[in-house]
Amino acid sequence: MSENNYLELTVGAVLVYNFVLSRFLGICPFIGVSKKIKTALGMAGALVFVMTLSSFITAVIYHYVLRAQTMFGVAVNLGFLQILLFIVVIASLVQIVEVMLQKLSPGLYRALGIYLPLITTNCAVLGVASLNAKAARGIWPSTVFGFFSGLGVALALILFSSIRERLELSAIPRPFQGLSIALVTAGILAMAFVGFSGLC
Amino acid sequence: MKKLFSLKGGIHPAYDGKALAREEAIQNAPLLAKYLVALQQGIGAPPEVLVAVGDKVKKGQLLAKAGGFVSSPIHAPSSGTVESFTETPGATGAPVRTLVLAADGLDEAVEFRGIADWTTAEPKELLRKIADAGIVGMGGAAFPTHVKLSPPPDKKIDYLLLNGAECEPYLTADARLMEESPERVVTGCRIMGRILGVEKLYIGVENNKPEAIAALRKAAEGTPVEVVGLATRYPQGGEKQLIRVLTGRVVPSGGLPMDAGCVVQNVGSAAAVADAVTQGIPLIERVVTVTGEAIRHPGNWRLRIGTPVLEAVRLAGGVVEEPGKLILGGPMMGFAQKSFGGTVQKNTSGILLLPERMVRQYESHECLRCGKCLSVCPMRLFPSQLATFSESEKYEDCAAGHVMDCIECGACAYTCPAHRPLVQYIRRAKAEIRRKQPKK
Amino acid sequence: MTTFLAAVAVTALIALVLGVVIGVAARIFRVKSDARVELVIELLPGANCGGCGFAGCADFAKALVEGKTTPSRCAVSSQGTVAAIASALGVSAGDGFRQTAVVLCGGDRNQIHNNALYNGVADCVSAALIGGGFKGCEYGCLGMGSCARACPFGAIEIVNNLAIVHAELCVGCGKCVATCPRKLIRLVPAGSKVHVYCSSPRKGAEKRKVCDAGCIGCRKCQKLAPEVFEVAGTLAHVKYDHDHPADPALVEQVGCPTDALLTAEQHLKIEHETPEGRQKK
Repeated sequence: MSENNYLELTVGAVLVYNFVLSRFLGICPFIGVSKKIKTALGMAGALVFVMTLSSFITAVIYHYVLRAQTMFGVAVNLGFLQILLFIVVIASLVQIVEVMLQKLSPGLYRALGIYLPLITTNCAVLGVASLNAKAARGIWPSTVFGFFSGLGVALALILFSSIRERLELSAIPRPFQGLSIALVTAGILAMAFVGFSGLC
Repeated sequence: MKKLFSLKGGIHPAYDGKALAREEAIQNAPLLAKYLVALQQGIGAPPEVLVAVGDKVKKGQLLAKAGGFVSSPIHAPSSGTVESFTETPGATGAPVRTLVLAADGLDEAVEFRGIADWTTAEPKELLRKIADAGIVGMGGAAFPTHVKLSPPPDKKIDYLLLNGAECEPYLTADARLMEESPERVVTGCRIMGRILGVEKLYIGVENNKPEAIAALRKAAEGTPVEVVGLATRYPQGGEKQLIRVLTGRVVPSGGLPMDAGCVVQNVGSAAAVADAVTQGIPLIERVVTVTGEAIRHPGNWRLRIGTPVLEAVRLAGGVVEEPGKLILGGPMMGFAQKSFGGTVQKNTSGILLLPERMVRQYESHECLRCGKCLSVCPMRLFPSQLATFSESEKYEDCAAGHVMDCIECGACAYTCPAHRPLVQYIRRAKAEIRRKQPKK
Repeated sequence: MTTFLAAVAVTALIALVLGVVIGVAARIFRVKSDARVELVIELLPGANCGGCGFAGCADFAKALVEGKTTPSRCAVSSQGTVAAIASALGVSAGDGFRQTAVVLCGGDRNQIHNNALYNGVADCVSAALIGGGFKGCEYGCLGMGSCARACPFGAIEIVNNLAIVHAELCVGCGKCVATCPRKLIRLVPAGSKVHVYCSSPRKGAEKRKVCDAGCIGCRKCQKLAPEVFEVAGTLAHVKYDHDHPADPALVEQVGCPTDALLTAEQHLKIEHETPEGRQKK
């Protein structure tokens, strides 16, 4: 995908290179909180928020810290700090989301449980920051990419949770009940998304 | 000609079995030696029993008085002695306390006193007469009639509708009643109209009973009562469905007919009202269709309340082949019985005995998502989904799908190609939801 | 060296900024929470069975901290857990005692005669809605396993169309008691070994017509051990008295004519060893 075309960037992030269904990143909340649409929506919201903001902040850090040739008048190369700083940023953002959720929606906070703090180490969040850095995207393209990648994850989560709510009502052969049928469904859903390849 | 509104949903059973008893005039049943009078008939508080074992009673004497406002008294069907108290299966099959009356064969009655001129009598007086006569909804629900006729003052009633649809297959009792004594039905209708202060009186009759319509029209000439022929369709006789067809109004979800400004009464109840008001006769007998392919002589009988089901079957000549299923009421909404031990109650519209060859045991399969139930549901619910929710015990989702509005007409289960027991699933959800509700 | 110093400085700076932001956010969105509630939730088993009468473990923990209930009300917790919670909160454990459920019906498919063919939803609640159920005895276990499905601990087994509680798995939460449409399940003091497996108050002769394992009210048990057994009408029951627990040896001594009186162990054994159902005595 060419880098500066926002349309390609957004369509690519949501559909063609969907984080969950094409890149297989962020599977943990995808499986963990997709039992009910309501919790999936909450998780999707949290992920969009964290991914957008972290993309923005990590892009700023990337451009002004990690790629800086000189700092305080001395020559430096701090590229090796990338993972450390990105994690620090993401962890702080997740912490903020957590305190906000606890106050604003205690029910959702309880429903998300361990999966909320786990966003900290979520590969989708770190992945979007790393991909931005790898492609050396500018700050705004990075933010847009982060936002739409988040939307892509949200789309996958909501689709999947809707299917799982229906699955709950279906008669499923015993060996397939629970997680097994969910994983089979996820596989089929991923295959469906292959249909978007080549779009951009 | 009155404009009719369309009824959404419903079914047309391919075979309605009405031909079996359609042409049979109503016959009076001979007196029996024993009557088993169930002491809880219909909805409401159980009545208070006034007699004891050994008491001599006369026909029409009060056996049990109403146990509250939403309750209905019970009268002796014939003269005789109170022999004992026992238990018989009630309409739903659950045991009810029952009074055994050993009849003396004299059929000696208490003095009945009617109101000489009901057209000038106080509505209150008329209403008391109806309450004292123990009249209930004779179509099936057995809700006390006087309660329906006493809407709270803030509800304005615009229409009184008499239900002569008799959309249940096999049943012909109402049809015969309308054909043979239309003047009683019309009088009852006008009395109830006077009590409610309603101008618009309609009797809805399905078009498959042209003789009944003609007889009623003749009797209604020169009165404000209008007889309306309806296209045949099940379950048109449901209160809410009849209101929809005749007035175009929709009863709000969770509401009663009076919320749509209507009161609906069965034609049988109307005839009983006429008897009670003009002659003072309490409700001690009713027309019952004893029918089914297993019955030797299907027909319509005027049976005393408390007639054992077995006696009624005997009256109709007994069985011609191995019976497979006994149903009190119609085949769609009636109750299958476990034994012949039941009795005729005020809401027993039919005794249906089907032969074994006609009773099929279906194996139910998974929902095919064909949507047939959706298209026949007269309440515009989503039966298959409600049933699936109920199956996986998601009763909150059932409640959100308005499961409590289901009238349990059975159209969905009738039409389901996968033979899913949809109504049973829905009834379970309703029972669970009711159980979780705080007691009033 | 400069790279090292710069790295430390940059990381520290960024961490400081983010730390301040989190601090501010935490101040704005502060939730008053009682650390003790969290602690109690940690200690509780987390079965969310509702046996304590509250909506779940979290609700129970809240009520505990507010002093509205006592730790021993939790049916699932062991003695140790109850003591731990009590000491953590500085309250007394309370005088709740452990209970176990028992299905008071011995009518398996061989014992109670059915009087209708039932081909509907395979669930006791649904079956009971139709004419009061298909079993001849209206106080008989329908055996469609609504209680077994409701049990969060898998303590109820359906053998020969009859529900039987495995006392060693039962914690006495009472979910099955609420589920049974015929009210056949009763909570009794844990450790009760002897039960009268019948709940029908009907007359002995009526019971005999429909069931071979029903109590006929012969009073044999009451005569032998009146401090343990009591016969009300035509139905005997164990008094489940703490001071006079029924001795399993009593069952042998009484010699119940219909085998309605059994120890839990015997009952389970009979049903397990005769897959076609228990034989008439």
